[in-house]
Amino acid sequence: MTRRRVAVTGIGVVAPGGIGVPQFWSLLSDGRTATRRISLFDPAGLRSQIAAECDFEASEHGLGLATAQRSDRYVQFALVAAAEAVRDAHLDMDREDPWRAGATLGTAVGGTTRLEHDYVLVSERGARWDVDDRRAEPHLERAFTPATLSSAVAEEFGVHGPVQTVSTGCTSGLDAVGYAYHAVAEGRVDVCLAGAADSPISPITMACFDAIKATSPNNDDPAHASRPFDADRNGFVMGEGAAVLVLEDLEHARARGADVYCEISGYATFGNAYHMTGLTKEGLEMARAIDTALDMAELDGSAIDYVNAHGSGTQQNDRHETAAVKRSLGEHAYNTPMSSIKSMVGHSLGAIGSIELAACVLAMAHQVVPPTANYTTPDPECDLDYVPREARERTLRHVLSVGSGFGGFQSAVVLSASEGALR
Amino acid sequence: MTDQLDHQVTVEDLSALMKRTAGVHVDPVTLGQQADDGFDTFGLDSLGLLGIVAELEKRYGLGLPEQAERCKTPADFLALVNGALRTGV
Amino acid sequence: MSGRQRTTGTDRRAVVTGLGVVSPHGVGVEAHWKATADGASSLGPVTREGCERMPLKVAGEVRGFDAAETVEERFLVQTDRFTHFALAAAQFALADARFGRADVDSPYSVGVVTAAGSGGGEFGQRELQNLWGQGSRYVGPYQSIAWFYAASTGQVSIRNDFKGPCGVVAADEAGGLDALAHAALAVRGGTETVVCGATEAPLAPYSIVCQLGYPELSRAGEPERAYRPFTEAACGFAPAEGGAVLVVEEERAALERGADVRATVAGHAATFTGPGRWADSREGLARAVAGALAEADCRPEEVDVVFADALGIPEADRAEALALADALGAHARRVPVTAPKTGTGRAYCAAPVLDVATAVLAMEHGLIPPTPHVSDVCHDLDVVTGRARPAEPRTALVLGRGLMGSNSALVLRQGGTSPS
Repeated sequence: MTRRRVAVTGIGVVAPGGIGVPQFWSLLSDGRTATRRISLFDPAGLRSQIAAECDFEASEHGLGLATAQRSDRYVQFALVAAAEAVRDAHLDMDREDPWRAGATLGTAVGGTTRLEHDYVLVSERGARWDVDDRRAEPHLERAFTPATLSSAVAEEFGVHGPVQTVSTGCTSGLDAVGYAYHAVAEGRVDVCLAGAADSPISPITMACFDAIKATSPNNDDPAHASRPFDADRNGFVMGEGAAVLVLEDLEHARARGADVYCEISGYATFGNAYHMTGLTKEGLEMARAIDTALDMAELDGSAIDYVNAHGSGTQQNDRHETAAVKRSLGEHAYNTPMSSIKSMVGHSLGAIGSIELAACVLAMAHQVVPPTANYTTPDPECDLDYVPREARERTLRHVLSVGSGFGGFQSAVVLSASEGALR
Repeated sequence: MTDQLDHQVTVEDLSALMKRTAGVHVDPVTLGQQADDGFDTFGLDSLGLLGIVAELEKRYGLGLPEQAERCKTPADFLALVNGALRTGV
Repeated sequence: MSGRQRTTGTDRRAVVTGLGVVSPHGVGVEAHWKATADGASSLGPVTREGCERMPLKVAGEVRGFDAAETVEERFLVQTDRFTHFALAAAQFALADARFGRADVDSPYSVGVVTAAGSGGGEFGQRELQNLWGQGSRYVGPYQSIAWFYAASTGQVSIRNDFKGPCGVVAADEAGGLDALAHAALAVRGGTETVVCGATEAPLAPYSIVCQLGYPELSRAGEPERAYRPFTEAACGFAPAEGGAVLVVEEERAALERGADVRATVAGHAATFTGPGRWADSREGLARAVAGALAEADCRPEEVDVVFADALGIPEADRAEALALADALGAHARRVPVTAPKTGTGRAYCAAPVLDVATAVLAMEHGLIPPTPHVSDVCHDLDVVTGRARPAEPRTALVLGRGLMGSNSALVLRQGGTSPS
């Protein structure tokens, strides 16, 4: 089987700090943070009362009333991001063979926020186990299964090829793009809408991370709460959002005269078989994912110009991935900028992997490395170049993005500049 | 809230909590004899210990120090928790 | 990046070496196969606590399942029933494949892939009740890992120390087949073994409330009438819990360790035609079948048995019959079609995985199991009804369609490439 080259021809982003790619890139390149006290519900009583929220009105982004009504917030995010990506790619779905077009979207917690909303109604605020079905609101079944996410995107854009929702916890956004990459590379589809969405800012999701003290309790200073790699980091800050990439067979993209941002050149994922939430100190499994993705891209670790870190800002994560990157890139790791945009847009669980890939695509397009905001105090165990607070110009030909997810998932994606790229 | 001064968490309590919140069975005698072994040797992981801390905090109506969930052995854990219960901190 | 032209192993084949089943018919392959071959029905009233007053009356419950017989308690307290099923089914499948620690060259050579339609709903409802009834401090530490869709893959990987490619397709019914295809691709791409399948536990009170929004859900009161696809009396489907896990291996590796090569995952294709648009699923399903046959290098006449999706909605049943005619031509009227899931109910993502397990057993036993509760078929299909039919099926076509609009087809061949 000949592996086809896979081009990125469009991107769309819904992220905290502004909806759309220009707003997203402006936030990242300025090093601003979008974390604040939660406004989507009253967080009083929670250990972590902060998050990076999207100021999002469905009607302002071209979603019809009927679509908005039947779609959960995370699905709305995905629809808006996908529309931007399709426009950006100048992809005319009427000219595509719909059976050769796919959609692969990731989400970690899917319709949980809506499920909780209706749970409160049917259970009379947690008073009864034998919940009352008559109090449920319409379209609840669409929140029940996360298959709704990719289904809604496929419906909206007339996709008739393979459609999948990927849910591998916090690596969902990397894995969804990885699965789509395989589908295009192996010839099952010519075009694929690939991305991820989550809207997890709800009492149950905040409470479940409170219970394991994974989120930051820096309630007094939300703007500086997300501190990846900083010695004073104390947990991640919840986020929400979506990003969608248009992936395309490179020849297909060239034939239709599409501009190519870059290529996906490698992807791999492994389990750590260690712990559902815990990470090893050594990072062997993430290193293996990086090595395998580099092999697929036929690259040596020394070719990597920038590492987009998972960088969640928990004590264990940041050490784990620093160790993994050092293991894979060797001495070159010390000369390679590695930053976490979670410092600015928070950690939107399943969505963030795709949002980070969109950031990588933009970084390559602008030849600018986004910074790690809030990084001020080095941690001796995290001794790489984390691009403190300010974006940096740099020649970027090969970029690596990594992620870890609950369940032990360790994933890596490599992006490479495309020869003869028009952008 | 006076009872918290009278109450101490015993090895028996800890054994029962490990079973109930984490599904880990270690009889109190063994737990007492091996109180300096790591929780991991009994199969109790970090989430299990967090669950036990949360149970104790609810039971005694106070917050335990952050170090409680980072204790490596039953002996350390009981010493820390009972110290906190005595002082009511 | 210059002129990358590379091949992945076209000579690597994905074969099934072990089956693990937790079904409404029973726990374990034997109990499941016996009831399936007998044409028995395990549909019955929904008996789980809190479901008494629900408008859903009939479902396929897994009864007599004691997870603690197979899985350590520390795994059970931190997981939902759907993961209990997955952990148990994975152990059954590994035992069935006689796949032990000694067979693992490297932990990275074994991956885990599951499909999940709704995650740990019962666990989630309990924690929602703790939160809203008592307060956020009453939410336990395991909520963060029990409710989400990746729980089963993660726990199976951890319990067995499998570090290979791990994946989760959070899908509608068709996703069960997509997960198997994903596993087969991983095997062809270089992974030696993938533990793959789907289990579901959607019969908790709040989960049922959510499903009531599906117009396809049967609200019939009697088990005999609730799920009767391909008949004039079709009135929707009865949901179910349980599922199946398979051990999928690279053929040569399986033979080298002396494993029985039970079946080959020969071809798969998937399409999408939108939720509820069942007439359109005709073309989608026909294209999926054609794609799966092409990948399997299989002529339509070679298909010896079809495990139908059998949704039980007249328009959907008609579309399925027509799709088979479109894809298989005149053979569609001759090939035996069965839907044993009418005796268990549809366990969402797990339904077609259970069908794949049943198809492997049918090929081994030379027996096509019947379709319980179905007689007087009103479509131009040879639906096996009443009693099981002796036959020598060597190629099975398994179909799945989902309520969110996906269509999927998988071709299974008995045994491996070498003559058995």
